Amino acid sequence: MTRLTSSVSALSLVVALGAMVGAAGITPAAANDKLVELSKSTDNWPMTGKNYNANNYSEAKEITKENVKQLRPAWSFSTGVLSGHEGTPLVIGNRMYVHTSFPNITYALDLDDPGHIVWMHKPKQPATARAVACCDVVNRGLAYWPGDGKVPALILKTQLDGNVVALNAETGEEYWKVENSDIKVGSTLTIAPYVVKDEVIIGSSGAELGVRGYVTAYDVKTGEQKWRRYATGSDEDIGIGDDFNKDNPQYGQKGLGLSTWEGDAWKIGGGTNWGWYAYDPDTNLIYYGSGNPAPWNETMRPGDNKWTMTIWGRDVDTGMAKFGYQKTPHDEWDYAGVNVMMLSEQKDRTGKLRKLLTHPDRNGIVYTLDRTNGDLVSADKIDDTVNWVKQVDLKTGLPQRDPEFGTRMDHKGRDICPSAMGYHNQGHDSYDPTRQTFFMGVNHICMDWEPFMLPYRAGQFFVGATLNMYPGPKGDRQNYLGLGQVKAYDAINNKFKWEVMERFAAWGGTLATAGGVMFYGTLDGFIKARDSDTGELLWKFKLPSGVIGHPMTFTHNGTQYVAILYGVGGWAGVGLVFDLNDPTAGLGAVGAFKNLQHYTQMGGGVMVFSLDGKGPYSDPNVGEYSTKVIRAAN
Amino acid sequence: APALAYDGTNCRAPGNCWEPKPGFPAVIAGSKFDPKHDPKELAKQSESIRGMEERNAQRVANFKKTGKWEYDVKKIAD
Repeated sequence: MTRLTSSVSALSLVVALGAMVGAAGITPAAANDKLVELSKSTDNWPMTGKNYNANNYSEAKEITKENVKQLRPAWSFSTGVLSGHEGTPLVIGNRMYVHTSFPNITYALDLDDPGHIVWMHKPKQPATARAVACCDVVNRGLAYWPGDGKVPALILKTQLDGNVVALNAETGEEYWKVENSDIKVGSTLTIAPYVVKDEVIIGSSGAELGVRGYVTAYDVKTGEQKWRRYATGSDEDIGIGDDFNKDNPQYGQKGLGLSTWEGDAWKIGGGTNWGWYAYDPDTNLIYYGSGNPAPWNETMRPGDNKWTMTIWGRDVDTGMAKFGYQKTPHDEWDYAGVNVMMLSEQKDRTGKLRKLLTHPDRNGIVYTLDRTNGDLVSADKIDDTVNWVKQVDLKTGLPQRDPEFGTRMDHKGRDICPSAMGYHNQGHDSYDPTRQTFFMGVNHICMDWEPFMLPYRAGQFFVGATLNMYPGPKGDRQNYLGLGQVKAYDAINNKFKWEVMERFAAWGGTLATAGGVMFYGTLDGFIKARDSDTGELLWKFKLPSGVIGHPMTFTHNGTQYVAILYGVGGWAGVGLVFDLNDPTAGLGAVGAFKNLQHYTQMGGGVMVFSLDGKGPYSDPNVGEYSTKVIRAAN
Repeated sequence: APALAYDGTNCRAPGNCWEPKPGFPAVIAGSKFDPKHDPKELAKQSESIRGMEERNAQRVANFKKTGKWEYDVKKIAD
């Protein structure tokens, strides 16, 4: 109860701080908390998820249910590259920082004159990096570190070729650059960096090439490695100590990173983390999920394959795990467990106020855990058509599998829901704390799956399964449409307040605002606004290309803007991006999305909206080379 | 007999609930599903990571010493 009261009074503080930040640019705050302060202002969007709760929620409310119909483009910017544009731009002060797909260009734009590119950073990368990217050459975003007086403010970025780079936020010059991942062994980077205190956290990609996953923390000022923790192997490598899972010993504790594998299979066991993070300064834990085990052929890796597919709470200073809950023991469907983590404080059904994390997983279950110790609070099906699991036992944490929808060698599994693309994928969703509602972009795709034997060769794909994917039972399986849903979810009462079908998977995630409007982009190229309470479609706009990133919002000089990246791609877009026709190509995605090409083509850029399109060029003389008109003499 | 077998709820130990499916072996080594992994291939990732960590350590040490970042380790004097 005291918590609730204090968070209400914190609200008025937020408003005051917002005004300060707006005036001063960057507020000098208590040590290590500058990002927390920056994120409280509606003027900034300084990290993925907007704030450490990763709720993609903005207090900005100039745009409301009543006036959202007046939303118009204020300005736009082409990134000059094609392929999937995931993630969302950052805004700090009067700068917008835009990232792109490979070759991972970074742009700094001036919000008072966005036609002027303040700086750009265009890395030279080996083209061979493209060949080991499983699912289009995407990148999920940038991170920002505010500086400390001695070291300048930095923009942190990952490159597909495995390098992590810190750029001077003012000039775009490289400040440091280290190797995190080696494309020669199939290890790439698509994840956005995450800054906590004076550390930058970096994930990993490559489970489709047998890469054993790891997460690394670097000193943001020097690039020095502080800690590195793996998803499989010894307890020491994983970061498991004496108090790991002490409140939930039934989840498993010591030795399982080796004992739930046969032989050395854990060395190529996957478990990469390429999703999103959240952080709670009170617990000092970062929260994220580890990905799928390798290979996809389950028969080649007996065991629970810990600690792939796990929700982690790790101490940010040491990397030691406080808790780990494995969602999908012995994965048989590629339900890579890397999805978004959204933090909230809500009263549970007994009336007890709890610190929670909510996580819609690929496997079709949305999990809510107590983020202080990993207690399972709820585990609901994202859609009632999920069939691989009958239910999740909240006491044991075990999913009760339906053997009919498992996969195995010498057998073709059919009508398995969700598909490998999951009922939820990489989209970064939102949570509205006033409505206590999660807005989830959902996929509605099922599959047939048949594994095959294959050898492991470092640097080559190590999948071992052939897939056919198609719309779920509520979609149109004849015409391959109806592949997505958007839902408003109540994690405490285990119900969906509203839900709507979408033509294609709602791949990019959502944005919630205090104006009572939630936004998202679609693969067929729209940004849409719905009533947060009823789900009614209030507004939409046809963008140049499909969307796989999430919308963001910021205020600048008192005007609220909504921005979104366009540029179709990602796994859903691989058929379109790489001109593939075989329905089983693109790891089975080509068949499912064969109609996408009738609604969109590739693109790449950012589109920024405001009421009536008000913006920096409302005065057309802004940004002109010359305002003097020279007229011919009569 | 197990109804349709492996449903994930029969645990040998906490966190260890895997069972072979009907007709499948508990251990695949020596079976027709033996992946026969080459230990040299399995070692390549950890060797690669060791190399990257060593190069990064040189870069960081040089940065701390000189105040200037040099990525090319060949250009870093010992």
